[in-house]
Amino acid sequence: MTPIETVALTKYYGSLCAVDHLDLSIGNEIFALLGPNGSGKTTTVLMLTTLLRPTEGSARICGHDVERDAGEVRRLISYVPQDMAVDIKLTGRENVALFAKLYGIPRRDETIDRVLEMMDLSERADDLVRTYSGGMRRRLELAQALVHEPKVLFLDEPTIGLDVAARKKIWEHIRTLKSRGMTIFVTTHYMDEADHFCDRVAILDHGRVAAVDTPARLKGRLGKDLISARVSGGWSGDLPAGIERLGEKENGEYLFSSDHASEKVPVLFRWLEEHGAVIHSLSVREPTLDDVFLALVGSRDDVTGFDDHRFRTMLRRR
Amino acid sequence: MKDILSYFERDMLRWVRGRVSVISALVVPAAWLIFVGLALPTTFTDHYIDFITPGILVLTMLGASLQGGSLLIFDKILGFLNKFLALPSSRESILYGKILFITTRGLIQATVILLLAFVLGATFLSPWSLVITYGVLAVFGVLLSSFSTTVALYLSDHDAYAAFNAMVSMPLFFTSSALMPYSVMPTWLAPLAYWNPVSYAIDAIRALQEGALAWGRIGALLLLAVIVVGISVRQFRKVTL
Repeated sequence: MTPIETVALTKYYGSLCAVDHLDLSIGNEIFALLGPNGSGKTTTVLMLTTLLRPTEGSARICGHDVERDAGEVRRLISYVPQDMAVDIKLTGRENVALFAKLYGIPRRDETIDRVLEMMDLSERADDLVRTYSGGMRRRLELAQALVHEPKVLFLDEPTIGLDVAARKKIWEHIRTLKSRGMTIFVTTHYMDEADHFCDRVAILDHGRVAAVDTPARLKGRLGKDLISARVSGGWSGDLPAGIERLGEKENGEYLFSSDHASEKVPVLFRWLEEHGAVIHSLSVREPTLDDVFLALVGSRDDVTGFDDHRFRTMLRRR
Repeated sequence: MKDILSYFERDMLRWVRGRVSVISALVVPAAWLIFVGLALPTTFTDHYIDFITPGILVLTMLGASLQGGSLLIFDKILGFLNKFLALPSSRESILYGKILFITTRGLIQATVILLLAFVLGATFLSPWSLVITYGVLAVFGVLLSSFSTTVALYLSDHDAYAAFNAMVSMPLFFTSSALMPYSVMPTWLAPLAYWNPVSYAIDAIRALQEGALAWGRIGALLLLAVIVVGISVRQFRKVTL
């Protein structure tokens, strides 16, 4: 049975369409929902975890409808929101024990020891969580989420605010869980992490899926190589044949795609010079998921004005 | 039931380990009793401490219950509520856990006041009156904590909750029979005070001091509590974010 399946899943907040007819089918894999802030990632997760009613469409977890069969869905899933909600005045063990009790786990102590061990927290289990690092707190949340051996695990921005080493460790744990047969649904806006650790990614843009595929195939859509240019000065005009402009990144890097990137470098060099650009560097590199994102969605920066009301609606939703 | 106790245990551990909040919870009611009970110039009674103690007891439950709503605000803002709502255990157990904790904490504070009142010369209550006093306070606590926790479910942040708390607690207290008997109230206040649920609890406890059972007042309080808890449970069952 398909672990996660959505059909035309849609959510409106008033007239704002946060999620727009989402069709996804997710198997035993690590599946990432990628998108800028406000693209509908969290809203999607809230609907899949029965916390928010879809306006239209439906979603099933292991065959159970998230609206009609919410109780069964809650037994099958675990949800770790992005807020890092662990009780700092309780010990790690007490935090996990709370969830073990609420899930009604038989042989509770064994289970608690096992999940703490799995997340490498055994040694610090009886310390107050106040003394834990960010990475440890996140692992503690994973331990809480694992007490009832869920079939599907939802992680909202699992590595947000963590340092590089802690991130890597979290992802290693997530990979282990997947190899044990768990389906893992993550949202993230860290492209490189999705690229390295996820089996498939969906790129979300204003509530709509712009693309779903493996990271490798998504990058393959941009061709084998890209030309990256650092230039200044005004330049404009039609590019030479066979070269397409992909966009400009936040760091001032211009990207061009071409079927024969290395051969086109001299062509592009001459053209840029002739059209008034000062060239600082020009190189050929492999595309990243970030480039795919740029090509599909455009700038990652939110170009629309800051809408205070909408921002608060989004905060309240959490 | 087990779920309720698990939620209760969590809030209790967090409260007990935050030492300042425990000390504050015990000092504040004592301060009320001493400064209001001993300092107000009154002419309608020679033994104001006996008169004011039921008022301060109920005031303490009122304050504790309304303040207790902020526990849910915290759970909501910090993301705990999302995690709890996604659990298979029944959602109303979250509400019952809060009611149980907030009411228990209120009763602990009430005990401090009772002990202090006796030290300050209040007349002792007979054991059965004492038991019923605790019963009345508990029902009142359940009523108010259920109300405040459910309101918190719909408010977005601390500022909104603090505003709600101030707006509700002050008028409720000052339009009750806590500070003076109906006979000395202005004529516009007396009927208002009589229908105020805070007065139900206060009057019921005052009757106990005379050795009487005010069934009407206790019954009204119970009925109100059943209605409010019923509504609250419905709201918790259907809440989405």
